[in-house]
Amino acid sequence: MITVKNLIKSYNSNRVLLGIDHDQQRGEAVVLIGPSGCGKSTFLRCLNQLEIPDSGSITIDGLTIEGGRLPQTSQEREQQRQLRMRAGMVFQSFNLFSHLTVLQNVMSGPLVVKGLPAEKVEVSARHLLAKVGLENKAEAYPSQLSGGQQQRVAIARALAMEPLVMLFDEPTSALDPELREEVLQVMRRLAEEGMTMIVVTHEMQFARDMADRILFFDGGLVAESGPPEQIFGAPQNERTREFLKRALST
Amino acid sequence: MNDSWRRWRVSCWCLLLLFVRTFSAHADTLDDIKKRGELRWGADAEGGAPYVYTDPQNPGTLIGFEYDLADALAAKLGVKARMVQNQWDQLIPGLERENFDISLNGLEITPDNRQRIAMSQPYFVYAQQIVTRKDSTGMERLEELQGKTVGVLASSVAERILEGQKGIELKIYPGNVESLRDLKAQRLQAVLMDLPIALHYARPDPELKFSGEPFAFGYYGIGLRRNDARLATAIDQAIKELAGDGTLERTYRKYGVWNERQKGLASYEPERLAEAKHISTLREWPKYLPPLLRGAVVTVELSVLAMGLAVVAGLVIVLIRLYGPLPLSWLAKAYVEVIRGTPLLIQLFLIYYGLPQLGLKLNAFAAAIFGLGMNYAASESENYRAGIQAVQHGQAEAALALGMSRWQSLRHVVLPQALRFVIPPVTNDFIAMFKDSSIVSVITMVELTKVYGMIANATYDYIGVGLMTAAIYFALSYPASIFANWLERKLRHDHR
Repeated sequence: MITVKNLIKSYNSNRVLLGIDHDQQRGEAVVLIGPSGCGKSTFLRCLNQLEIPDSGSITIDGLTIEGGRLPQTSQEREQQRQLRMRAGMVFQSFNLFSHLTVLQNVMSGPLVVKGLPAEKVEVSARHLLAKVGLENKAEAYPSQLSGGQQQRVAIARALAMEPLVMLFDEPTSALDPELREEVLQVMRRLAEEGMTMIVVTHEMQFARDMADRILFFDGGLVAESGPPEQIFGAPQNERTREFLKRALST
Repeated sequence: MNDSWRRWRVSCWCLLLLFVRTFSAHADTLDDIKKRGELRWGADAEGGAPYVYTDPQNPGTLIGFEYDLADALAAKLGVKARMVQNQWDQLIPGLERENFDISLNGLEITPDNRQRIAMSQPYFVYAQQIVTRKDSTGMERLEELQGKTVGVLASSVAERILEGQKGIELKIYPGNVESLRDLKAQRLQAVLMDLPIALHYARPDPELKFSGEPFAFGYYGIGLRRNDARLATAIDQAIKELAGDGTLERTYRKYGVWNERQKGLASYEPERLAEAKHISTLREWPKYLPPLLRGAVVTVELSVLAMGLAVVAGLVIVLIRLYGPLPLSWLAKAYVEVIRGTPLLIQLFLIYYGLPQLGLKLNAFAAAIFGLGMNYAASESENYRAGIQAVQHGQAEAALALGMSRWQSLRHVVLPQALRFVIPPVTNDFIAMFKDSSIVSVITMVELTKVYGMIANATYDYIGVGLMTAAIYFALSYPASIFANWLERKLRHDHR
């Protein structure tokens, strides 16, 4: 369902992605691991066009966007929006809209982007809040929530757009350790329900448990990929071994 | 204890002595002039032809029949003359503040002026002249000005004459040139002005004509402080000598203002004056309140409408600047910089007097709102810009990631959050607007400060009327200030 071909991205002279190829089935949960600055987050941000790749192509469910230029025409902008709507994004820093209540945050996408009637949107928003265990916080403002609760709202907000794939950009990195589990649990349940997911994370145990496939990013390339048993049990690549040794010892 | 008490008393006496010396026992002005070797005379050279004005052939030097007269007077006293620039309608206060020794600038010998200050022998016989456009008919006599819009110079005899006339819409100007410009721009139907001014500015203008004969003859005299009796005698003597030896005639002919009536100067006898009017007392204050409140209404109307324009135009400017295509965003930035880098006064002059030359004629009220509003729009756009940039980048990214267009993310996410940062500085600007709006009196708007000036100049009660005016301004801005503080507190506690 997701096909990425030869994705290249650099910032000025700093080359971040050196040609990523990636194929992903519907319902597959993929976890990206690798050292800081290896391009994992940039890859994710390219997928929903928060970054415009220098070249290469991204296809999600039959809609292809070529890299290399900012959308100019209204048709190109519309395509970009369509691609974004297929991918739900969860940020490291939550980015909940601070002037809106929890419920309004979850409703904002369908209301503004799809123009659906408010009553209908509210029903499904409350349903999603129940799903992440926050139905009693609907009227609260983001500032009144813990980090873990905010991130669960952010997941509900992304799900409200009924995306085909969920992108998680280090969703627990900004959280205290005791708050991480509630977020990881929500993500696990999503994976079990068959949601197509790409997760950038440093949570190795989590990656091992829920991933169908793991990609090890190193220096702007996919250095190694495979099922968790292979990556964690018998890594082929020297760099993977080194990284895992450090990551698992902490 | 006892000792320190004595020391304290002694220093008090010293202070008092100093105070008394500084403020009461001032030396004789004539002696001062001689010692200084300089006669300082107050006048307004802005638009002051043919009295005192910048020589068009030689900018940087002043000329005018009064300029030559001052030189001649100073020579009689054995000193040099030095002109002190002072706004015309503030010449009497300037004289009283001792900014200069005498006021020599078309000051009419009227009962009002003679009650306030001492006036010398007359040095010039003036008259009032109605000036109209070439194509106008009628308006040759005072009575025919009824129902017309007529311009006059602030605090001039013309203003006083027309104030007493019913059914004339009076427009009051800070200078002579502006009223003639508005006459040509068809904002006025006639201008009533002193004859010498009309001779210099209106006669050579092919679009204008003298309508009817000059009337309401009177005398110009030199203004002196009441306690400068010796200086007054010396000046009177000097004027008589200059009139007798033909110096006055020569000077006036040079500037084209000589006529047969000037010969009467030698035989002038002042009328006896009624008892001097006192500065108004507390009991008079209620009388000033209604006109001041009417001025306050204009101030509020101006401020509210101009601020409304500024708030909307500022938003348009900042959106173009931040999100518009390149040439437009550059233009928006340039607009902000140019407006902020030039005085509001100049902008108002350009809008009110300059635009008509390009064919766009706004009335004073519209020009005031447009000028103030578009000036404030520049600062509001900067307030907005700061507010928008204070909203975390992640907020817009999250909106885009949901599939919102750039406009939707602005409208639903960024701008509502920027509002919180923007409201305090914008309400502060609104309060500042109440006070800044006083500047539009230069384009003939009669708002609170202008009403103050008119009443104070007529009654000489600068303190009483001034305090009342200040109180009204305060009553206007303090509630706004309370509201701003409340809003700021509320927004700080909300959310986040």
